Amino acid sequence: MIAFQLVLMQLISAVQWSYFAYMVISIALLGYGASGTLLAMIRSWIEKHGNKLLSPLMTISGLAMLGILWFSSVIFKRFDTYLIFVDTTHIVYLIIVCVSFFMPFFLGALAIGIIYINYVSRIGFLYFADLFGSGVGGIVLLALLWVCFPSQLPAVIAMLPLIAGMLIVPKKWFRILVFPSLILLLIPVYLVCVPIQLPVSEFKSISKTLNLPESEIYLERKSPYGHIQLVRSPVLRYAPGLSLSFEGEVPVVDMLFCNGNWVGPIIGLSQFDTTHFLDFTTHAMSYRISTPENVLILEGGTALFAGYALWKGSGNIVLVEENKEITDLLKNELASQSDSLLVHPYVRAVNLHARHFLLTDTNQYDLIILPEIESFGGTSGVNALKEQYVFTTDALADCWERLSGNGMIEVTAWLDYPARNPLRILASLVEMLEEKGVTSIESHLVALRSWGTISFLLKKTPFTQEEVFALHEFCSQMYFDAVLLPHTQVNDIEVFNHLEDTTFASSVRQIISAQREEFYAAYDFNIRPVRDMRPYFSQFLKLNRLHKLRDTLGNTNLPFFEVGYFIVLLTFIVVVVIAIVLIVLPLFFIRWQGHGKLFTLLYFSGIGIGFMFVEVVLIQQFILYFGHPVFAASAVLIALLLSSGIGSLRSSVLIKSYGQLWKLLSLIFLIVLLYAIILMPLLRITISLSFVWKILFSIVLIFPLAFFMGMPFPIGLRLLSEHNKVMIPWAWGINGCFSVISTVLAAIIAVEAGYFWVMLAACIAYSLAVAAVLIGRLVRV
Amino acid sequence: MKWLSILLGTLIVSSPLYAQNFDQKRAAMVQNQLRQRGIVQTNVLEAFQKVERHLFVPAAYTSMAYSDGPLPIGYGQTISQPYIVAYMTQLVNPKPNGKVLEIGTGSGYQAAILAEIVEKVYTIEIIPELGKSATDRLKELGYQNIEVITADGYHGLEEQAPFDAIVVTAAAEHIPPSLIQQLKEGGKMIIPVGSPFLVQTLMLVEKKAKKVTTKSLMPVRFVPFTRSQEK
Repeated sequence: MIAFQLVLMQLISAVQWSYFAYMVISIALLGYGASGTLLAMIRSWIEKHGNKLLSPLMTISGLAMLGILWFSSVIFKRFDTYLIFVDTTHIVYLIIVCVSFFMPFFLGALAIGIIYINYVSRIGFLYFADLFGSGVGGIVLLALLWVCFPSQLPAVIAMLPLIAGMLIVPKKWFRILVFPSLILLLIPVYLVCVPIQLPVSEFKSISKTLNLPESEIYLERKSPYGHIQLVRSPVLRYAPGLSLSFEGEVPVVDMLFCNGNWVGPIIGLSQFDTTHFLDFTTHAMSYRISTPENVLILEGGTALFAGYALWKGSGNIVLVEENKEITDLLKNELASQSDSLLVHPYVRAVNLHARHFLLTDTNQYDLIILPEIESFGGTSGVNALKEQYVFTTDALADCWERLSGNGMIEVTAWLDYPARNPLRILASLVEMLEEKGVTSIESHLVALRSWGTISFLLKKTPFTQEEVFALHEFCSQMYFDAVLLPHTQVNDIEVFNHLEDTTFASSVRQIISAQREEFYAAYDFNIRPVRDMRPYFSQFLKLNRLHKLRDTLGNTNLPFFEVGYFIVLLTFIVVVVIAIVLIVLPLFFIRWQGHGKLFTLLYFSGIGIGFMFVEVVLIQQFILYFGHPVFAASAVLIALLLSSGIGSLRSSVLIKSYGQLWKLLSLIFLIVLLYAIILMPLLRITISLSFVWKILFSIVLIFPLAFFMGMPFPIGLRLLSEHNKVMIPWAWGINGCFSVISTVLAAIIAVEAGYFWVMLAACIAYSLAVAAVLIGRLVRV
Repeated sequence: MKWLSILLGTLIVSSPLYAQNFDQKRAAMVQNQLRQRGIVQTNVLEAFQKVERHLFVPAAYTSMAYSDGPLPIGYGQTISQPYIVAYMTQLVNPKPNGKVLEIGTGSGYQAAILAEIVEKVYTIEIIPELGKSATDRLKELGYQNIEVITADGYHGLEEQAPFDAIVVTAAAEHIPPSLIQQLKEGGKMIIPVGSPFLVQTLMLVEKKAKKVTTKSLMPVRFVPFTRSQEK
């Protein structure tokens, strides 16, 4: 089920808008909760006849996995998440999609729930098997992503429940059913060979590109890093924020896409003789005043800026890009198009998470180029949940430490209105400078604005008169405006590129002044700098200002400015409402009055939320620790689930009485609290250890916490089985519902307050479970 | 069955009652969506009153043709919200003897609006299917002063340059240099930036005294937002 969930998320994100994929999968996962609800309603029947259902349920679950894939291929021809804002019919389609995706999870969870109810005496082992299977599912999926296209994977995964269904057919039926079961197995085998292709939304960037004349995908790669596609067309060009004074020719380039989303152009050096089009962008200002020898490019993508640095004469260029497939392609199959850029002796590609690189690297650079913030035209907050660590004040401080004597940091943001990204990155740069003891901000920081971008250049030593003069000249040649540059008169801030919103220049002034705190508080959007424990999310809404924004922008328009976050909030509301219905519904069937309900609700919701919150934080922290997001996330998940599984297995031996349970939960509470405080510093101290030592250290850190976190669920079910058996399916449903709610809630807390608070929220969740035990309702049942 | 539904559809669309219904909707659109939101140029308002927008949208969306939003026309493209088309048209201030270049024909609606005001409209569409359907549609509607060219609009239309105004409906992350060069001295170019389904910002490019300046206008979604509204 875990593997199926992960692959569905990737598949739908690739063909539709990823935030709706997030919504669809979150709602679908409530199938776990719904299974508990149904089981609670028919518990006594399940106890007698449930085992007979296991084989058919597993089989139907496998078929449902294939069925929804086929159904999606049909409905996605009519349904497009982008059109929800235009045509209300698509909201109906969205509901249909959610319901259909719900089915395989519901059926699979029904089978698991029946096993938990009917074999509760062996719950420790069963829960271990469940967690172990989830962990193995993650590893298997990771391995499959190297050899299969995403469209083939649902069929591969669907074989597992079909085989499981076949293996648990009652003996007396085995001979009759084995042949039809084998026939059924041929369906996924066929679909692996001839996979069902989901239609890609016509509004996805790859679809729009493929609509261009003579465009074609000429190269594809599959890996856990994503489905990479190279597109060529005689009309594709790329020159971000090009100056309006440019009169040359922008070259035709090939474009690289990952999971249907645009990544970057493939540009060689031989296309340029005396002029490079990037000379005509705000990116060029650092090269206008110097020729940096050592250049570091973070999140370098398709190496556009590495090529530019080489073209400008830099002799040592380090490109950091976590997607190894992209750099491998540039080194091999795309070497001719990129003029062998990444195998050039002056260029070194490093496949690491950019923030991890900054934490571990010790070299000095004359220029550090950060990735562009957002994209052309703004994204209306569609990247609200995409956390970026390279723009935190901590990351900028590390960049500062890596600068040589006259070193510079360059960061460019696309302009958005109302201004959010440019102001937050400016605030981050300014506060970092202050933390480093720089008092004269304006002599170290300049900013130039074109019609679409604003670039900030921060220098370790004050800009000289000659450099300031050169940048003024650069502005007048390129039709750029000096937003922050010594000797700029107030009237000269908007010479070429006027903004109807006249508050931008004054906002910039206030951020670099001593009164910035007042400005942060007064500004309608949250543009405060962020830290590693609360990384840079492209989410700027202040929830307490919604009423004011609504007055300004109008009720119906407001969500469109921060649409990604609104969808997350909407998902949370929908999931909570459905979960409440699913949790309350069984109460009509199992007496409203009676003992153990409060215990069951508090205990199983508490441990469900607590576990998921800790999991989310551990994954985030260890991604930074190891620097390889895909593998770090998988490794942490596996370590966590296996350690929890072992905890589950040992639970009956270690916790023998009800009196010991609150002590166990209190211990978990204390460990989570301790980790909230020491985890990040510990990981920072040990980040430079060798890979093997880091693995060992990670296991030492994860095992004790996860070992104990794996115990409360099986112990809780076992206690219910001894005292209040009727509650077992309800407990299963509650745990399922709150696990889904907590993943969405963790994202919201992380955005609003940071990961430290997610850990504290996990503590609160476990304290709920402690309270449930102390209330001691169960004893009376 | 298919022929029956086509026949029925044709009968409905050609019925006077149906046409009258669209006339009313169009008048309401001009009044409520345009005039009340600050579209004041008489020639622009008259053009919107005249051009039958429901003939420019796919059959599935005919009933929504005069609604206050963009509509899909296929190939990942949209027909813009009426207000945005009007706002853009007003910003370039088209004159009766003017010559306008449009990059991104789409449905042909913007070209038709412009053709009601100016002498000649050249419109370039890169997607052949859209180019052909727009050509057929505009020809059927009798527009003699619109020339639809199916090509890459990146290089503009040098042989007809310079233009009094250029309307770019399909914005990219850079403005093609040739379009700036083909803009007449004193001419205006308008470009919508952003997602048609979410929030768009209009950018006005002006060429004066051999210098090019831009003006980024406030975000547009139904109405242009202004800071003064905060108060």
